Amino acid sequence: MSVNVRDIMKKDVIVAQRDMPVSEALDLMKTHKIRHLPIVNKQNEILGIVSDRDLRDAAPSIFDEKHKEFINLPVSKVMIEDVITALPLDFVEESANTMTENQISCLPVEEDGVLAGIITETDLLLTLVRLTGAAMPTSRLEIEVPNESGQLSEVSNIIKDHQINIQSVLVYQSFSDNTKKILVFRVQCMDMRSLLKSLKEANYKIIWPTELEMKP
Amino acid sequence: MSQEAAYIFSPEQLQYKFHNEHPFNQHRLSITNDLLMKLGALSPETILPARKATIDELLLIHDEDYVQAVIGAAEGQSRSSYRTTFGIGTEDTPVFPHMHDAAAWLVGGTLAAVDYVFDSGYKHALNLGGGLHHGFRGKASGFCIYNDSSIAIEYIRKKYDARVLYVDTDAHHGDGVQWAFYNDPDVCTLSFHESGRFLFPGTGHVNERGHGDGYGYSFNIPLEAFTEDESWLVAYKAAMREVTEYFKPDIILTQNGADAHYYDPLTHLCGTINIFHEIPKLAHELAHEFCGGKWIAVGGGGYDIWRVVPRAWSLIWLEMSEQKETLKQSIPKVWLDNWQEEAPVQLPPEWHDPKGLYPMIPRKKEIEKKNERTLLKALKPIYDQQKKVKS
Repeated sequence: MSVNVRDIMKKDVIVAQRDMPVSEALDLMKTHKIRHLPIVNKQNEILGIVSDRDLRDAAPSIFDEKHKEFINLPVSKVMIEDVITALPLDFVEESANTMTENQISCLPVEEDGVLAGIITETDLLLTLVRLTGAAMPTSRLEIEVPNESGQLSEVSNIIKDHQINIQSVLVYQSFSDNTKKILVFRVQCMDMRSLLKSLKEANYKIIWPTELEMKP
Repeated sequence: MSQEAAYIFSPEQLQYKFHNEHPFNQHRLSITNDLLMKLGALSPETILPARKATIDELLLIHDEDYVQAVIGAAEGQSRSSYRTTFGIGTEDTPVFPHMHDAAAWLVGGTLAAVDYVFDSGYKHALNLGGGLHHGFRGKASGFCIYNDSSIAIEYIRKKYDARVLYVDTDAHHGDGVQWAFYNDPDVCTLSFHESGRFLFPGTGHVNERGHGDGYGYSFNIPLEAFTEDESWLVAYKAAMREVTEYFKPDIILTQNGADAHYYDPLTHLCGTINIFHEIPKLAHELAHEFCGGKWIAVGGGGYDIWRVVPRAWSLIWLEMSEQKETLKQSIPKVWLDNWQEEAPVQLPPEWHDPKGLYPMIPRKKEIEKKNERTLLKALKPIYDQQKKVKS
């Protein structure tokens, strides 16, 4: 499993319905120590989103008479409706890009049209330190190995036997199985088939490239 | 048959051969030529020769020490720098005898195509031996030694001062050509490929839009692994037309790698032969609409040399030379008989693939949605500009 949004998203999302008053929404965020609140309908479809900062910025001064009127408004009147979302299988670094580009710090995750989770900048920062990009012409090779010493060295040796240069390596504990490690290599090679064959012969579990079943 | 199209081939192009097990196999040129001849769509006397590119022409793009290294390696010299600095002698790009000459003949074919179109009254020209889009200024990469398309584009710029739209439908990102013209506003590159997250060379992200004066003249449509015909074609048709209208080129150069097919052993896209019916059709149409017909097509990747490449590449020529009526017949039996014994797989008897070529893709919907988003992102600058013009 690679690091997808699905792997790091929070699945128990605190949400509000469209008729919740602004004051209650602010309290809800304060209670749960969150800064974003997706607004959903009964089918859990995303209607909009509010952030604590947006609400505070938009609110008239507490000494202003309009303040009371504002905090009693339903959130649907103040929410942002044009919500930028992520998909569960988006790569984490892409989501980071989306956030940076749009100057936002949270992405609701949408699956089959309904809210499935949420990721924030904080989740990303924790994950991003584990990821690296690709600037040189390289192929991605992803292998699951037992979580024990010597694995990286053994796999690297097989790559070395093929005289293939390794551009970058990422090692992390599997998100789904803590007895496993994931090794992600970027290798300077376009045709990985003979390398993959050697790895399979050495009984390594190759996560990428995968093949569709029945592919000849 | 239209007299406006030039088919370029020389037997010297077949010498570009690393070794018997290597996936890049120019034997596909012979197999394709034969299919077109058996179809009656090409005859030996109408084939126009390629030529060997000169050193000076290679230096339009490549560094002198790199070309010297290729010549040295071809002569049997061996230095450790060949592999580490120049990428020659790697598993992807091993040394073979006459590699300099063979690579220069592939380049010369594309240069000949340029001259046929600008000098000899042809509107279109096809050099299936070209399309080696991974070649860098100073380094071989991904089976490519010299980058014929980059050299041809620079040659067009210097000799004919025309603005070039380069369109790359190989399943791998057209990195060599993109980086060669990344700062150049007179060359626009548009590449459709399997996302670099999944496939070599890893680049070709939507955000790679060019640099300096060239900003806004590099477009990338990275598609998800297991993308199928429909989603691929939606992206192709929209981006191809939008980018052509936006850039208004004087000539279109298309790179026609045939490795986006499900059968291709090196990639993970799930195209069928359908997309190879559509690719040249739209290129042809746009060339007439915007460039007075000027269209050069080259080959590229394509590693199922039996079931995919001969059909896909024949379709380019049939489109270019307006001989698509020949598609009403099945694949000629004489061609099948000629090659079936040598082919390790069953040759396709028809111009279209049968339904149910591959198992159902479970993530189909998500893949389509993702590709839709990628397309919108890639074209956003064009759409934004259109909005400004309207308002």
